[in-house]
Amino acid sequence: MATAPEKIDAAFYVELRRHYSEEEIVELGAFIGFNVGYHTFFGTLKFYPMFAPDGRLVSQEESARIYGAAPVSLAAAESA
Amino acid sequence: MTHVEPLAPESITDPELRELIARCEQLGVPDALFPRILAHVPAYAKAVLRAMLMSHAEGNVDHRLKEIVRVQLARFAGDPYFSRLRSRRALEAGLDEAAIDAGSGDYDDDPRFTEAEKLALRYADQMYLDPGKVDAAFYGELKKHYSEAQIMELGAFIALHYGMQVFMRTLGATPPGARRG
Repeated sequence: MATAPEKIDAAFYVELRRHYSEEEIVELGAFIGFNVGYHTFFGTLKFYPMFAPDGRLVSQEESARIYGAAPVSLAAAESA
Repeated sequence: MTHVEPLAPESITDPELRELIARCEQLGVPDALFPRILAHVPAYAKAVLRAMLMSHAEGNVDHRLKEIVRVQLARFAGDPYFSRLRSRRALEAGLDEAAIDAGSGDYDDDPRFTEAEKLALRYADQMYLDPGKVDAAFYGELKKHYSEAQIMELGAFIALHYGMQVFMRTLGATPPGARRG
């Protein structure tokens, strides 16, 4: 959906129906749509998780060092 | 026909969801089709529709500008359904197809747009085309024309509507009485 939406066609939805109910497909689709939209927006705002993997409250600078200065969504877009 | 069948209107009995669908039809974005597909998951449908209506039709950024931005994004997403819908409220406020088309074109050289409007269009344009350009300097430019609240309003509006447009594109939907995309 994010990188090649043309591949999500009627045949793909038939495949989905082999594993998921209609309700689950709509739930997944809306959830993915949310994430496609929001993660790129969040990436432009340059904020990072408040907590380190070990549970410590960390500054944004330290969090950027831990989790990476460029969000994966932006890095992927930039390398495309 | 869409890849996920919309529910029949009479089968949607949740009064809150029915009221939200009526509000969508009244605004024109989305029309009843997208809500009837979302209605397979009523709790999701209510949350998504409420957020879509609020982000598009409420707040402190001009609704006509948001409508131009929304169509620009839908065209970029390649979604004929949302591309062809129009906000009745925006049209009643004077928005026309020429301005909508201009917002999807070479808006930077178009005198009909103010600098603030051009910046909002670029915000949406760059967000998914080249998000690396939406950096600290870009936010600095935005802050010359918009409050932080307005910037969050625009950003959240862009993210939500683009995400739902990408989803709807995969469902293969077109609205009845199709306008030009």
